[in-house]
Amino acid sequence: MLLSCLIGVPLVGAIALGLLPLPEQEAKPARLGALAVWLVTVGLTVAAIAQFNPADSQMQLLETVPWIDRLGLGYRLGIDGLSLPLLALNVLLTGIAIFATGDKIRRPRFYYALLLLLSASVNGAFAARDLLLFFLFYELELIPLYLLIGIWGGDRRGYAATKFLIYTALSGIIILAAFLALAGLAGFQTFEYGPLLAFVTGMDSPLGGAGLPLGTQVLLLLPILIGFGIKIPLVPFHTWLPDAHVEASTPISVLLAGVLLKLGTYGLLRFGLGLLPGAWHAAAPYLAIWATVSVLYGAFAAIAQGITNGDMKKMVAYSSVGHMGFILLAAAAATPVSLMGAEFQMIAHGLISALLFLLVGIVYKKAGTRKLDALSGLFNPERGLPLVGALMVLGVMASGGIPGMAGFISEFLIFSGSFKDFPVHTLMSMVGTGLTAVYFLILLNRAFFGRLSDRAVNLPSVSWWDRAPAIALAVPIAVLGLLPSLLSVWSEAATNSLAAIARLGIAG
Amino acid sequence: MIDLLLKTSWLVPCYGLFGGLATLPWSTRAITRTGPRPAAYLNLMMTCLGFLHGAFAFRSLWGQPAQSLTVPWLNVGELHLSLILELSPVSLGALELVSGLSIIAQVFALGYMEKDWALARFFGFMGVFEAAIGGLALSDSLLLSYGLLELLTLSTYLLVGFWYAQPLAVTAARDAFLTKRVGDILLLMGMVALSNLAGSLDFTDLARWAPTAHLPMWQATLLGLALLAGPVGKCAQFPLHLWLDEAMEGPNPASIMRNSVVVACGAYVLVKLEPVLSMSPVVQGVAIALGTMTAIGASLVAIAQVDLKRALSHTTSAYLGLVFVAVGLHQSDVALLLLLTHALSKSTMFLGVGGVIATTTCQDVRELGGLWSRMPATTTAFLVGAAGTVGLLPLGMFWAMYRWMVEPTVPRWTLLLLLAVNFLTALNFTRVFALVFGGVPQPKTRRAPEVPWPMAVPMVSMTVVTLLVPLMLERWQLLLSRVTTVTEGVLMLDVPLMVALVMSGAAGVALGAWCYLRRGAVRPVRLPIAAVQDLLSYDFYIDRIYRLTVAAGVGAIAQITAWIDRYVVDGLVNAVGVAAIFGGEGLKYSTTGQLQAYVLVFLLGVSGFVAIATLSRGVMPF
Repeated sequence: MLLSCLIGVPLVGAIALGLLPLPEQEAKPARLGALAVWLVTVGLTVAAIAQFNPADSQMQLLETVPWIDRLGLGYRLGIDGLSLPLLALNVLLTGIAIFATGDKIRRPRFYYALLLLLSASVNGAFAARDLLLFFLFYELELIPLYLLIGIWGGDRRGYAATKFLIYTALSGIIILAAFLALAGLAGFQTFEYGPLLAFVTGMDSPLGGAGLPLGTQVLLLLPILIGFGIKIPLVPFHTWLPDAHVEASTPISVLLAGVLLKLGTYGLLRFGLGLLPGAWHAAAPYLAIWATVSVLYGAFAAIAQGITNGDMKKMVAYSSVGHMGFILLAAAAATPVSLMGAEFQMIAHGLISALLFLLVGIVYKKAGTRKLDALSGLFNPERGLPLVGALMVLGVMASGGIPGMAGFISEFLIFSGSFKDFPVHTLMSMVGTGLTAVYFLILLNRAFFGRLSDRAVNLPSVSWWDRAPAIALAVPIAVLGLLPSLLSVWSEAATNSLAAIARLGIAG
Repeated sequence: MIDLLLKTSWLVPCYGLFGGLATLPWSTRAITRTGPRPAAYLNLMMTCLGFLHGAFAFRSLWGQPAQSLTVPWLNVGELHLSLILELSPVSLGALELVSGLSIIAQVFALGYMEKDWALARFFGFMGVFEAAIGGLALSDSLLLSYGLLELLTLSTYLLVGFWYAQPLAVTAARDAFLTKRVGDILLLMGMVALSNLAGSLDFTDLARWAPTAHLPMWQATLLGLALLAGPVGKCAQFPLHLWLDEAMEGPNPASIMRNSVVVACGAYVLVKLEPVLSMSPVVQGVAIALGTMTAIGASLVAIAQVDLKRALSHTTSAYLGLVFVAVGLHQSDVALLLLLTHALSKSTMFLGVGGVIATTTCQDVRELGGLWSRMPATTTAFLVGAAGTVGLLPLGMFWAMYRWMVEPTVPRWTLLLLLAVNFLTALNFTRVFALVFGGVPQPKTRRAPEVPWPMAVPMVSMTVVTLLVPLMLERWQLLLSRVTTVTEGVLMLDVPLMVALVMSGAAGVALGAWCYLRRGAVRPVRLPIAAVQDLLSYDFYIDRIYRLTVAAGVGAIAQITAWIDRYVVDGLVNAVGVAAIFGGEGLKYSTTGQLQAYVLVFLLGVSGFVAIATLSRGVMPF
């Protein structure tokens, strides 16, 4: 019941917030309500972690309710080491987003209800053990996010939100087509993950058949790659992301970069690599190239934002494009080490990019601009944002892969695990890591070093209430960087079993 | 008790880190009532604790075999990563050197940074800085060393950019980070390759693996070059040397550490990696070539500098070049000896230089002069440090160079290199001395007082230590080469070699004195050819070359990417959107109500589908 509660509690909370006769203009009651719901989900997450057995590579905390049997659709939930950390990340970042939302927000009840709805649907997507159910949650998450960008966003929010919606709805349709085709080939008996995997590999398949031929697998993999490639996003399907980030408000950017992009990589690992291992193996060399292109493209686009004095937020958004490329590289190699690196990178990037977006948000709130040419000298202790600057140094260094922080562990594992199969691609991606330092130094040097510019004089002081979410993210970034086994114990069994599935593809 | 101290000596670097963290309440201005000083005292106290702890551990380990501490860190698949510390006389000695110099630099900073409002932040950085260097001294695994080298890169960035409102400090910090990062990324590439090839990243395992690994030559070479790149960046060797010179924009107490032990860190890692590097002769050749080029080039460039600190920092590069040559020739003992003597004497010089800068607030040698009578302690520190850095008097470096040259395997040309570097450095130091301390007082030096005691105490202490270096070397028997012939307990001295060393130093001093110590010579002598002078004073225009090649290249690619992103990728998306709108607008005129037209479109569509389905039979799986 735990997983259902993790989905249900925020869902009920969202409905309650929407229906209860709370004052419309006052943010506080809605905020407190959202916080209460969030606290319950935190408790549920802790309970789920306590019940989770890290040594078991199979799905756990299973729940099965028959739903539409004739379609093969069932309400089947379960988590393993791959999804549990992501679930926890989602809960953490939801809390951060609630905390980081300002007091003077318009239509607070609606806002917090959508936030909770978003959290519920992402939880559902990570916990779904059924392809169609995953798709339902994957689509459900679009609605609140579209509204959150479209209503509470910046000046060009309409364009950005529509672009986001079109792109990701397309992604959903393509994925649905692949899922339907796969289930159709298996005779529309079920959408459950386990039997379908057995059907594809042809080993102990309850659905019969001797495995899918490679050509068919490739045809199925293509839409999955494109569908999740849009969500991750990979070049050239990425242009919705910078626009969405620039227009979204800070808490929404935190959620978008921190956890929603992870739906794409999670889907790629679970339904690409984990469901079609044969095709994945065949496609791996091309995927590695794609990953490298994405990494370098994201890095260079971010540098261009830096040298043309662009928008800090856009820069961080492009850096996300680059850093998500690492995960594709790791997935292409599909060794136990690289897959652990991919899992680590999902969590690390979730925390780090959330931190960066939070900090950029504080700068924007205080200085009124995110343009690099309009900002300078923010380290100034009297009238600048010194502590925000210090946290920014931590964040960009973590993003750049400086050891001692979570980003390094994931990059090292990814590179180390991928080097044997794809040495050149790995080395090129490492150049991408080096370029990360280039654009983030531009950001630091322009915005935080130097003299405080005249127009940004006398910034309003930052309260501890503003800083607290950022500090709450900085701590796990450092802790996971120093003690990576805190995370790896939970996922090791799952990533190893995923690597074993990948080896099936090589054998087949 | 002593045993416990030895077992817990891994804590010594942590003291620095704790000290750095302890400054947080003051550097974040959570505590303002006390002023920033308590943070400095806390940090200093932690460093002293670390020094004492290390000293006890060092004593109890003396004469005992090396021990190692292993902390399992991360196990993923076949990758087993542990953090390994080596407790040996060498590593603990290096740790003591680091802690000792850190105490010196911090006490000095109490005076030097007295009026700086961000004292607490400075001491926080120094704590982290010290922890990273100390950890490197103990580390016995490449992974840990890499991590600490990166931490060092980060703290260098923060320390150089300490005065972040100064434009020069900002670019210097950026360049320091990026040049070191280039080396670090290449080192990371080597490390990733090594983790796959050797299956372990411990230095002891690597040393055992390297002779038995039969890699193809190109692989061994590429691997070695990648591993070499990290130390090249850290030791400010050509072509990644420009950061050290620029880093002199940072506060001087950090420069003391930077020019003595920080640059040594890279070389220390290099020494540890020597077994892997020696798998390929090309790598050794490259190490020797880079070392030689840097040694000669930086010595020449140093002479053309007018900035007091830069004139000295280039010689640091030059001496680290000598260390590279020594490592390339498999003479790790010599390399460590060079590092030790250089660190001690160079830090003494930088203490003196710091004294000059603090009292005159000027570091341009053209505006200084006649300080010898006004600042006797500072002058002594500079002179003793200089004498200890060149082979002239029988101080530290003389014996290190001597020790090197009596190795029987050393090629003859290294003697020439050594003599040349010695000559040029002696010339440079004489020049600096004559311009800063000799001559007639200038407007900025006329009323210069001697430094206050927080600066004088460390300065004088280091002067004494530098004078005592030969005794220390003798006591610890560091001067005895494994192969030196000792007949009946008497060290056979190679007199011609000693004469050559002394003569090269003396010739440099003499030339310098002839140019500068004559009456009235207050300005630096310019070379007859202005182009050569400029070439040297601008460090072979290396920063411009980088700006025009690497930086411009990255910028151009970035701009092209941005253009593609804007006009091709996003343009296509927007074009689809526009096409949809216009398509809809256009198609609305086709709703004419003519039934024949509709039926025609239907039929065409259906027959198209049928055609596709028929043609693709056998190709499609369904």
